[in-house]
Amino acid sequence: MSPDLATALRAQTPTASSNLRERVALIAATAPPGRRSILPRRWLLLAAPAAAAASLLVAVVVGLVSSSSPPGQVAQGPVEQTPTAQVPAQPRAMTPVPSAATKQELRAPTPAPSTSRAQNVNATLRLLVDNTSDLSATTQQALRATRRLGGYVVAVDYGTPDASEGTASLRLRIPVSRLQAAIVRFSGLGQILAQQTQITDVQRRLDELTRQIRRARGNKTRIAALRRERMQISRRAAYATVGLDLTTQEPEKKAAPPSRLDRALSDAAGVLTAELAVGAYALIVASPLLILLAAAFVGSRAYRRYADQRLLERA
Amino acid sequence: MTPTPRVTYMECVSDVANAQHPTFASITEAHLDDVYRYLLYMTANPSTAEDLTSETFERGLLRWRRFDARRGSAQTWLCQIARSAALDHFRSEERRRRRELHVAVRESTAAEIELPDEYGPVLRQALRTLSAADREVIALRIVLELDPATAGRVLGVSPSACTTRLNRALERLEKKVRPRLVA
Repeated sequence: MSPDLATALRAQTPTASSNLRERVALIAATAPPGRRSILPRRWLLLAAPAAAAASLLVAVVVGLVSSSSPPGQVAQGPVEQTPTAQVPAQPRAMTPVPSAATKQELRAPTPAPSTSRAQNVNATLRLLVDNTSDLSATTQQALRATRRLGGYVVAVDYGTPDASEGTASLRLRIPVSRLQAAIVRFSGLGQILAQQTQITDVQRRLDELTRQIRRARGNKTRIAALRRERMQISRRAAYATVGLDLTTQEPEKKAAPPSRLDRALSDAAGVLTAELAVGAYALIVASPLLILLAAAFVGSRAYRRYADQRLLERA
Repeated sequence: MTPTPRVTYMECVSDVANAQHPTFASITEAHLDDVYRYLLYMTANPSTAEDLTSETFERGLLRWRRFDARRGSAQTWLCQIARSAALDHFRSEERRRRRELHVAVRESTAAEIELPDEYGPVLRQALRTLSAADREVIALRIVLELDPATAGRVLGVSPSACTTRLNRALERLEKKVRPRLVA
């Protein structure tokens, strides 16, 4: 480009007329409109840190609130409560015994079966013995005690995988009338780890069978069958089934409950993780739409620029 | 010895504050000619340029609160508003022409170009033959003496694209101007 042309272009370009100056001066004299509260773009700039701060605050509050309540503790009764004699009992898990401090409480007599009603009684006892030699001696004592009490051994499962560890599982049948004495005697063989007693009433079924036998006059076959069933139930009810588990392994000690700070931090971290997971999920779900929107925005902007340029070239 | 004019402390503070946070009136006064010249080049019509200059400052007044001196100079900001106003004008003119074509009233675009006499006959005739896009880049880079980056920002293109456009526009302008000057 020649310098003359540039100079000519600059020099020969007219300036604004006085009329235009007056018009623009009038516009400039007008007070600018008031400031809007916050511009949308700034809202976005504020929203991101505000959302992060809010999620952090929620996590901290949840952590503090949840940590103020003590950690969930299951009430541990020393002995499994015995169901009432009239209601058939449901099988129950063994109640773990936390320490030897409750040993004496456990030695308290278990709920006694009724002497006037026929009942199926199941008792389970889990004992800790010192070592494998003690395990053998205790097993022998339990078997002897069973015989002395008028009972019998159904099954014995004795095993010592190595010199330091061993278990013995005994399934015994003890006369119901001697069950209390048996439990007391077995309790003295070691440290009680768990104990359970389960009583199921069968007297109603016996009464029903008796009524059916009376009604079935002349029907000898049916009467014989009913009597057989009644006999079986009576025999089963005469003896209690006792499961005696002996072990040399101490139960794993429970870990110390976490401190309040640990719980608060753990809960806060859990809430934050959940928030992040929700955020990530929302982002994953919305990302195709966001990409499409961004592409549409970029495309429309490029097209608008192209259209503007074409317009100016035509003008 | 001529007495030195006394400047108070408050006047100094006010001047510094104006430099950092200019008022709308001050930028109007400083850049009115720039905006008018830019629009005159784009439209090649003094009355249209005046109307668009007025509209530019009206729009500027409405958006004044959004002006941020850190993001660009007031001149660049006003040129962007002026460009938007000019594009709106061109669009409406194009729509008008299309409507008129339907009723078979053809009107030459060249007839609307009425560059003022200040340009001189040669330059005026040469500028009339250029497109608004060419005149725009000449106005920004030559008349307003903006650097490529700033001019590119107003045009919405990169500095190199701006320079390319300028070179092509000047080439076309010189082709029109030189034979006449030789003659």
